[in-house]
Amino acid sequence: MGSGPIRLGIDVGGTNTDAVLMQGRDVLATTKTFTTADVKDGVIAAVRTLLAMHGGARSTIEAVMIGTTQFVNAFVQRRDLSPVAAIRVGLPAGDGVPPFSGWPDDALAAVDGRHYLVGGGSFYNGKDYAPLDEDAIAAAAVDAAKSGITAFALSASFAPIRPDLETRAAAIVAATVPDARITLSSEVGGIGILDRENAAIINASLSDLATRVVGSLRQAFADLGVTAPIYISQNDGTLISTEVAQRLPILTCSAGPTNSIRGAAFLSGLDDAIVADIGGTTTDIGFLRGGFPRETTAPNTIGGVRTNFRMPDVLSIGVGGGSLVVPTEGGADVGPRSVGYRLPQEARVFGGDTLTATDIAVRAGQGGIGEAARVADLDPAFVEAALASIHGQIADAIDQIKVSATAQPLILVGGGNILVSRAIKGASEVIRPQHGEVANAVGAAIALVSGRVDKLYDFAGLGREAALDQARDDAIVAAVTAGASRDEIEIVDLIELPMTHMKSGLVQVKVRAVGPLAAFV
Amino acid sequence: MIETVQDLQDMARGAVLLGTGGGGDPYVGELFVSEQIKRGKLPKVVSPESLDDDAFVLSIAGIGAPTVIVEQLVSEKTLLRLLARAEAFYGRRVDALISAEIGGANSVFPLALSAISGVPVVDADGIGRAVPQLEMTTFSIYGIKATPCLLMDDVGNVVVVDAVNDRTAEDLCRSVVTAMGSMAFSAIYPMSGRQVRECAVLGSLTLSQGIGRAIRVGRDRADGDPFASLLAYLRQQDGRVARILFDGKVTDVLHETRDGWHFGLVTLQDLRDDKDQFTIEIRNEFIVARHNGEPATMVPDLISVLDRESAEPLTGEMLTYGQRVKVLGFAADPMLRRPESLEVLGPRLFGIDSDFIPIEDLAAKIEAADMVSAH
Repeated sequence: MGSGPIRLGIDVGGTNTDAVLMQGRDVLATTKTFTTADVKDGVIAAVRTLLAMHGGARSTIEAVMIGTTQFVNAFVQRRDLSPVAAIRVGLPAGDGVPPFSGWPDDALAAVDGRHYLVGGGSFYNGKDYAPLDEDAIAAAAVDAAKSGITAFALSASFAPIRPDLETRAAAIVAATVPDARITLSSEVGGIGILDRENAAIINASLSDLATRVVGSLRQAFADLGVTAPIYISQNDGTLISTEVAQRLPILTCSAGPTNSIRGAAFLSGLDDAIVADIGGTTTDIGFLRGGFPRETTAPNTIGGVRTNFRMPDVLSIGVGGGSLVVPTEGGADVGPRSVGYRLPQEARVFGGDTLTATDIAVRAGQGGIGEAARVADLDPAFVEAALASIHGQIADAIDQIKVSATAQPLILVGGGNILVSRAIKGASEVIRPQHGEVANAVGAAIALVSGRVDKLYDFAGLGREAALDQARDDAIVAAVTAGASRDEIEIVDLIELPMTHMKSGLVQVKVRAVGPLAAFV
Repeated sequence: MIETVQDLQDMARGAVLLGTGGGGDPYVGELFVSEQIKRGKLPKVVSPESLDDDAFVLSIAGIGAPTVIVEQLVSEKTLLRLLARAEAFYGRRVDALISAEIGGANSVFPLALSAISGVPVVDADGIGRAVPQLEMTTFSIYGIKATPCLLMDDVGNVVVVDAVNDRTAEDLCRSVVTAMGSMAFSAIYPMSGRQVRECAVLGSLTLSQGIGRAIRVGRDRADGDPFASLLAYLRQQDGRVARILFDGKVTDVLHETRDGWHFGLVTLQDLRDDKDQFTIEIRNEFIVARHNGEPATMVPDLISVLDRESAEPLTGEMLTYGQRVKVLGFAADPMLRRPESLEVLGPRLFGIDSDFIPIEDLAAKIEAADMVSAH
């Protein structure tokens, strides 16, 4: 066994809490347990199990990395959300498209949807087109506070190049409403005020929950006596501190699929492959390209609201270990209904009465879990039809999101990976890496740190090369601030988007810099 | 015609297809109108035939950089003030609004003003697609001058441009708009009801909405082929030819900006055969599509790139490596193929060394070549 610092990776999903202890590239111990209503209890149980398995002292853990879908699930399900007041600095521009434009009615109702438009804002060149209306900002804050609102989302036109417009507005709100929790749009998005403002509003609506969940996670480790720093996985699979996650929970909203794809890459040693994460209710299929998930290019929606986050391009289908299997005329239907987290009680092999995909897999000899005798009565022809449905649905989904006709290796991860036993059309081979059932926790444990910029740079004034160097430096500084080791940082993404239709010489540049945690170099 | 948010979304989807890669994303204007529809304020659309000969009709258009529109959005007050200033300036009540360009963002701004002012929009436009310059509209080609026009920004600056010709008007307007922060609204192309019938491309809003609806209905059907539904609809339009030129994935996208124009080259490849190549040249819009080097469709006929599964039309700026798409070729409105139109918006005007060849002739050539190679 290797030596060196030990990291603890945890994935707190909707159903399962998975955990892994890693040292360098070695997986020392893994465990899977149920997520609890207060996430703390599940985490404590998982970590106690791991430490008992490994027999090591908790003091040897040097970092804890946690991925969680708690926040995105809460917004999608419209639960535990705080009412939000959105204040946009923009008048006289933009009054025809106010904050919350295009929101689904139920999301609007869940966050109250109160908004204020106030004077101020910047041209694309950074010059003010109107003075910041400080009185109107204070009046908006007072009005919102009267209805008991303490979560605020602030936005301003061209805030990515003039963040001071939002920080000045925030100071006024904070002075007016002392317990205000404020999200600035410039912290959660780039050019495109609507998508950026939406992200800020979603974030503000999660602020109460984030305080509770992150506080509960911190408490879990205090209770366990683990004193190592705690990091949270964000959307691109890199890490942020618990302070940042508590303030900006939206940054974690697609960490789940990202971690499982990154974990699959690490465990299989592949950089380019198809990844299928088979859980209890769904199978999520994504693509690994150059060691990172392929991301979507179109604007993304979170719970029906458009944002400008880049997300892993993942297709979910309703096939998982808990999928109901229903006989049809001469065949079988599998999913999309599922027993979900009740699998350990309801599946036939576990003593229940519901026929699930897991029962089929056990009957076919694909996995040695539960009591095989309890499914021995299943007709082989029926089992065959169910297996054909499972494999067929996965193969169709892979075909749907593939961008090349060339067959690629398929990496199977997740607790439900026993469902697949045979070749899948479109896959050159099927790989089942060791520890694949906790790939998402592994993905959290191996995560790097990143820094991003998305701003307009003056190519005409600086020259293209100097402007791009400036953008790269800005991203590297952001990565170092987030905890990356300066010498190991790589630029992994650089996108230039010229300002078309105008002879301005300004170019929107998006850069992402990634490096390992300074503590682990 | 536009009574629900879905009607509007259909129209905007069609406008992106007719934008032939450019024209700007109608999303911001679409949200503006959706908000009005939710409040019960509907844009009104009237037929060109319903206009009196001497009715006063005016275009309302956004001019500016897409990057700025997505930050400064659209102001109700600015649009209403522009209408009031225009009526004062021209000395006449505006009887109807018209879109200068149905392809892209400027399809929706007249609808936005209609919803808040009650002034109807004519079911017609100045090009039936998107074009990069003012003088390329059928308004300019068939004798309606763009100026005198008004340019107004959100702060309240108003500039009147009165140019010797529309080519110059284009340059003057762009300089003014740059000084206004690269985004302004214009009241432009003052015309009569009779001129609408003579110089505009008619039925554009109906076409745009019909395209968007055909795609949506095709998706929702059990057999779910939006392309079959879209092609069937397009082929009902005065016998205009529509065909899928290519089915494959994007393997390369080059973008560059020269003199404020977006130039680019998109390369696609067949999913099964990497020797089978397809390219699309961009000059703000898609201007020529070539299959293994042979032209398949050229400007002013329309080239559109659509998502291979959903048939969602994509703009040039949305194209990135790896996307699976189908490329659609669609014959331009017959008005755009007349000699006097081709003089202003034929391929040579876009730097292509070829006279205009209609999509149907190019298709016949490709089929003949396929027949020869099959033997």
